[in-house]
Parts: sequence; structure tokens; C-alpha cells
Amino acid sequence: MSEPTILRTELWHPLTVHFPISFLLLATVVKAVALILKGERSVFWQKVGSFLLVLGAAGAWLAVYTGNLAEGTVARKICDPILLKSHELASLNMAWLFTGAFVLEIVQHLNFLQKKVMVLRVLTTLIMVGGAGYLIYTSHLGAQVVYEQAGGVNVPPSDCAGL
Amino acid sequence: MIMKKVMMTALVAVAPFFYGCGEKTDVVESGTYQGVVEEVEAEKTEIYVKTADDKLLELYFTDKTSLTQNGQTATFDQLKEGSKVEVQVEKVGNRLDPVAVKIME
Repeated sequence: MSEPTILRTELWHPLTVHFPISFLLLATVVKAVALILKGERSVFWQKVGSFLLVLGAAGAWLAVYTGNLAEGTVARKICDPILLKSHELASLNMAWLFTGAFVLEIVQHLNFLQKKVMVLRVLTTLIMVGGAGYLIYTSHLGAQVVYEQAGGVNVPPSDCAGL
Repeated sequence: MIMKKVMMTALVAVAPFFYGCGEKTDVVESGTYQGVVEEVEAEKTEIYVKTADDKLLELYFTDKTSLTQNGQTATFDQLKEGSKVEVQVEKVGNRLDPVAVKIME
């Protein structure tokens, strides 16, 4: 009988990746929409986008951490660890891009370039769009690791014995 | 002046992106290779070896990996960054399983 599922370290990664995926993709859409809105509605959706960005960026680094823990186990079993390495590199680029967007958010909130708020907002959104691209690519590679190579998956015997 | 500040801020914001671009690793055929340990990840019993022909091998030790120095069995903590090593690897799919690692110095 295998150990309880939740105790397998490599499974902390799928437990933590889905929040940043949803938060950061939504944050990117919200920030883009907020750019074309005017007045109070723009201010509101900018704030919503900022909260999602902060939660998502923190979640992204947590996912990078749990992914690093999972790597030691998964890379020894799958047939193509190069794919896992690409997944890791893409995830780092994604996390750093959203962190960069977060830094620009702080600059805006500190009123450090007061007269260029719109430029900063556009720049932040563009970086987030880049981050979202990496996020989708990272997710695609992660899915390949799981669904094509059974990374982190206990494959039951064909007769399902023991289940 | 303002434009300079904007550009500086933008540079600071995207600078981590370039830092985040790590190195890709290579796949080689089964065989024996000499190189230098570029990185040791003790908690994962993993090493990166840069070979003479500039290939970067990422090797995860298995239960079957033998580690020796001067003909004697060595422990993983004897592997240091910069150590010269000879590695015998077996290619399984695109995975490189280290069969034997000899510390050369």
C-alpha cells in the first residue's frame, strides 16, 4: 500500500500551482480592461488587478518553491527531464516578470513618477501580458510532464491490484 | 528627466527577467565523460557537470550510482563545485542516470 497521497512531497506542487495560475491570468485581464475604462471604474478595477497581482505573485513563488521540492523526485523517474528543466526555466521567467510588474505597482503607489502614472500602468500591463504568456507556456509544459510522462503519478498495475 | 526615471524603473522591473534565464542542460549518449562540477545540490543529491566539449549534464544520483575517489568509496559531500570528475552515464530516454562518478582530485 502506498503512503497517503498528501504526504508525498511532489504533490504539494499541484496543490499550490492553480491559485497563481487563476489569479495572475485574471489580474492580467483585469489590468488590461482597467486601462480602457475611465474614472471611478478604472480606479476600482486597477485596485482589483493589484490585489490579484500581489496574491498571484506570492503564489507563483510558493509554486516555484514546491516545484523545486518535487523536481528531486520527479526528474529521477520521467523519461525526459529536459522538459522538466524547460518547465522550471519558464516558471522562473514568469515569476520574475510578475514580480517586476509588482515592483512597478509599488512605484505607482509610492507616487514616485506621479506625472507618468499612465505610462507606468501601460508598462505594468505589458509586463503582465508577457508574464501571462510565460504562465501559459509553463502550464503547458507542466501538463506535458504529468499527462505524457506521468511525472509525480503513481501508475497502478494493469490489474488494479492493491487498490 | 521624467522619461529617464521611467526607463530606469522599467529596467529595474524587467532586470529580474534576465536573471531568471537559467542555463539549459544537454543530453548525451551513454558513455564516460570528464568534466568539472559546476553546481552541487546536496539536498537533491544532484550535480551539474560541464564537460570538456561544453555540454552541461544534470545528474541525479540513484541508489545504484557509485561515487569514488582514489579508488575508495566517497560520500556525496566530498563533491564540491570546481571538482574534476569522470562520470559514466546511461541514457534512458532523455534522462541521464549516473552509473559511476569518480572524483579526479
